[in-house]
Amino acid sequence: MLELVLRFLLVGTIAFGGGQAALPLVERIAVAETSWLSPQDFAVAVGLAYATPGPVLILAAYVGFRVSGVLGGVAATLAVFAIPVVLAGFAAHLVTRFQQARWFVAFGRYAGAAAIGLLGVTLTSLALPVIEIHPALLAPAALILFADQRGLPPVLLILIATVAGALVGLTQ
Amino acid sequence: MLDPAQPYARRSSVRLPQLAWIFLRLGAFAFGGLGSTLALVQRDLVDKRGLIAARDVSDALAYTKPLPGSTGVQLVAFLGWRLHGWPGVLLASLSFITPAAVLMIAAAAATAALPDTPWVTSALVGLQTAVVGLLASAMWRLARSEANTIDLRVVLLLALGAGFFVSAALVVISAGVIGILTTRFGRQ
Repeated sequence: MLELVLRFLLVGTIAFGGGQAALPLVERIAVAETSWLSPQDFAVAVGLAYATPGPVLILAAYVGFRVSGVLGGVAATLAVFAIPVVLAGFAAHLVTRFQQARWFVAFGRYAGAAAIGLLGVTLTSLALPVIEIHPALLAPAALILFADQRGLPPVLLILIATVAGALVGLTQ
Repeated sequence: MLDPAQPYARRSSVRLPQLAWIFLRLGAFAFGGLGSTLALVQRDLVDKRGLIAARDVSDALAYTKPLPGSTGVQLVAFLGWRLHGWPGVLLASLSFITPAAVLMIAAAAATAALPDTPWVTSALVGLQTAVVGLLASAMWRLARSEANTIDLRVVLLLALGAGFFVSAALVVISAGVIGILTTRFGRQ
């Protein structure tokens, strides 16, 4: 439980580039380093995080629940948002001072770009099990990429893909 | 630094229970990340209720974007401060994440209890497939908007390569340090 809170505090502290860019950090700590979740379970959790309203990092609630129940879910959620929220409060408080901290802005831009690069690592670890099930599944994945770029809501795309999956399962 | 005593036009004009209710609703309807959060804030808090100005929203976005963490929650925390100081920060962000947290914990419990039948398994494969597409799309979109210089694109690609071998935290922090070093170097 302490490990859970500390790990999610760390995610919040180094999540430069926003919530989606922090998905690799969560994948590292929850799947690669601790095996709290299986890669498949992690993919499902990410899907649900996209499908629920609010921030994608609410993924922490899912991981926390899997580690130690409702209390773990609440603790991980508070941990992942605590430091960013306090920082945002201070930013509102000291707006001009933060504007002058150019070194901090430079740090954030580069750290953010790195975080986006790391999304590729997460993408690979999520795509491999799907390809293993059937390489042809990359076609609907590409279709969803295209639909998302055209501005269709992610919730709708997730819903369609899940229902389509269930229908395929029923016919087999 | 702003004088803390400087009067904010709308500060404290909204009472805490009302503030909690506004952000709870926002948290329940902001599907689709930062974009929809911004749109709802604009529609509800700026246009409809007139509690904050469009300038407050653009300030919030500008000053929370460089900070680590989920920008949507930080936007809400920043606006919470403008509306009601530190109590506003805490109450706004807690209210905002509550609906999603409840849904996610319920979903975690539900998926753990799912029966192992073929249609459930195959529905989850559908979900996984959608996530691969959505994540690729998010990566593409973020790379285009955030990694907008050659330097940053190089950092992105190096991080992608390094990420397969080194811990993610180390990659992110090293990139930030490189950012500080090269920026200072460029200015001299």
